[in-house]
Amino acid sequence: MYDKILIPTDGSEVANNAVAHAIDLAEKYDAEVHALFVADTDMVAYSLGTEQVDRIRQGKFGEMTELADDAKEATGFVREQAEAAGLDFAERHAGGQPHDVIADYARDNEIDLIVMGSHGRSGVRRALLGSVTERTLRSTHVPVFVVDYVEGR
Amino acid sequence: MIPSSALMQADELLPEGLEIGFKLVPAIMVISMMTLFLAVGFVFKVADTDDMWVAGRSIGNVENGMAIGANWMSAASYLGMAALIALSGVYGLAFVVGWTTGYFVLLIFLAAQMRRFGKYTAPDFVGDRFNSDTARALAAVTTFLIGFVYALGQARGMGLVGMYVLGDINNVIAIPGLSAYQAMMTLFMLITIAYLTLSGMLGATKNMALQYVILIGAFLVGLLATGWVSGYSTILPQIEYGMLISELGNEFSDPFAGGSYYLWIATCFSLVFGTCGLPHVLVRFYTVENERTARWSCTWGLGFIAVLYLSAPAFAAFGTDLYTNSEFGPTYGDPGMSDAAADVIVVLAAQLANLPTWLVGFVAAGGIAAAVATTAGLFIAASSAISHDIYANIINEDATQRQQVLVGRLSIIAIGLLTILFALNPQAPIAALVSFAFALAAIVLFPMFFLGLWWENTNRPGALAGMTSGIIIWFIPMLNEGQFGLINGGAGFGIEFLETWMPAIGSALIGVPLVFAITIFVSYVTDEPPLRTKQMVRQCHSPDPMPKDKTAAQVVAEKNGNAHADD
Repeated sequence: MYDKILIPTDGSEVANNAVAHAIDLAEKYDAEVHALFVADTDMVAYSLGTEQVDRIRQGKFGEMTELADDAKEATGFVREQAEAAGLDFAERHAGGQPHDVIADYARDNEIDLIVMGSHGRSGVRRALLGSVTERTLRSTHVPVFVVDYVEGR
Repeated sequence: MIPSSALMQADELLPEGLEIGFKLVPAIMVISMMTLFLAVGFVFKVADTDDMWVAGRSIGNVENGMAIGANWMSAASYLGMAALIALSGVYGLAFVVGWTTGYFVLLIFLAAQMRRFGKYTAPDFVGDRFNSDTARALAAVTTFLIGFVYALGQARGMGLVGMYVLGDINNVIAIPGLSAYQAMMTLFMLITIAYLTLSGMLGATKNMALQYVILIGAFLVGLLATGWVSGYSTILPQIEYGMLISELGNEFSDPFAGGSYYLWIATCFSLVFGTCGLPHVLVRFYTVENERTARWSCTWGLGFIAVLYLSAPAFAAFGTDLYTNSEFGPTYGDPGMSDAAADVIVVLAAQLANLPTWLVGFVAAGGIAAAVATTAGLFIAASSAISHDIYANIINEDATQRQQVLVGRLSIIAIGLLTILFALNPQAPIAALVSFAFALAAIVLFPMFFLGLWWENTNRPGALAGMTSGIIIWFIPMLNEGQFGLINGGAGFGIEFLETWMPAIGSALIGVPLVFAITIFVSYVTDEPPLRTKQMVRQCHSPDPMPKDKTAAQVVAEKNGNAHADD
């Protein structure tokens, strides 16, 4: 049923929490695990300056040392788990609007299941942000498995 | 004129002589210019990059130079500089000299070395060089303050020119307690924030080059047409205006009639070193391909900026003469030209020369576009200081990308509202407001960049002492002269001795040497910085070319293993 499982991750606790679920599923179906880190260009524009967005466009991700480290750490966490479970693994670092990139990646790589953290925040924060998860649900036809994360549990 | 009479506060900002009223064609021009910027941003929208490790197209140094020019050319360059020259004559030249000379210092001492250090933002550099989160926070607060003070000048420019384009809103719907200037300023600041939200989403600096071309086009066409129609000049007004000098009156042509010799030097000094400390200018050098491109971008940037600066005095001369010969004249004496009228002298000159409305509107639209574009750049720099340097690096180290976007957006709204609030009654002309920001950059940030890159023994206590005292030193003359309207309802302490020898507009002449001395002294009496930091500084000057994708810190870390901020 599930031959290829995609785990979009930003390295946060919420995302890492979903990884265990994904790996467990992948083991059951002997699926290939794909880890995807998307540098949100909005974040880059607001917090590092628009000049850094130019850098991404130029493909000089290696020069953006901190962001590149974050990306490697995020997908590295998935890699460790996948390799420990003896699964096939692929990783990708991309930039753009996270939900778009995730949907495109799923389509282009014939992904059968997306497993991601909920970012299930309530109240004001959710209203202001929207949520990557929610938008991903709306932009893809691939089944999405959402793992909720409650702090302290 | 500055700082005594020009700093006096007018009850209501109303540029006499300027036709205030709604004009359809100029209004359409302003709107279409902004739409064009957004459209270009949309076309060159950062497409989703499937793989970030694959190289795209790099930015050349001419384009980067134009971007520096556009980022740089604010209401202060477009409107304020000509205004000061018109009002204070030779004193205004301190701005032409200061704002160009600064690029030489930048070119020789900072551009390439900054590129080698390889950080994202100015507070990033300070935090990593001095290994201290406190230093990072101080630099971030300074960056935010610079953005805020600088934006005050832009807001004033938008409001004044906006009155020419859209007129007095009170004639349409009366808003009690809001003057024509205040309504326009608020409107255009809100437009700027909206523009910023949209262009931030598009993430494009692509249209910087286009902005430069349009701005300089509007300015030069306006100048040529004004000179031609009024019979002052033919094809080279930048030189031909010299013939007018003897007719313009002593206030224009006599050296130091509009400001003392000391004030001239102090202002010039502030502007030169402020240029080298401005975070939103320096940031362009972090991203270019290599040191060589950094140097050439700086050179091109200076060239593009000089085109405007060589023309501003000519515009000021034409404007002054037209004003003197108009029904509102003379320019000097009592009552003379108000600083509000001077601040729109570029538009006013075109209007008094009886140019067609669409052409005057083009000049006005250029001024507004300059202010909006620069404010956008400043706000982005201020928001990254908050969301990257303070929030993500200090408050919440595990901040997710979404949280950073939220904090960034909120800080843009905060600085926007703060600017609107304080710009309701700006206490100084555009150029003066902007120079306060330059003084701050020169006093607090420049010594940290310079010593940090050139003297490896500068250490954390030295930097902290230098920056803290720098911020205090900057506030003293500001409060003394009643800026921000916080002390004595805007009158300030008014200590005359301080006003003469440490004017807020040129406080860097005293402040920079003081901060250098404090930083060096404290660095001497405290422990030397760790070897790793010294190696990083040496790496910035190493004769060997550095690999493109490495920062100085990485090169050093490869030798030693890594370390983090230790306070």
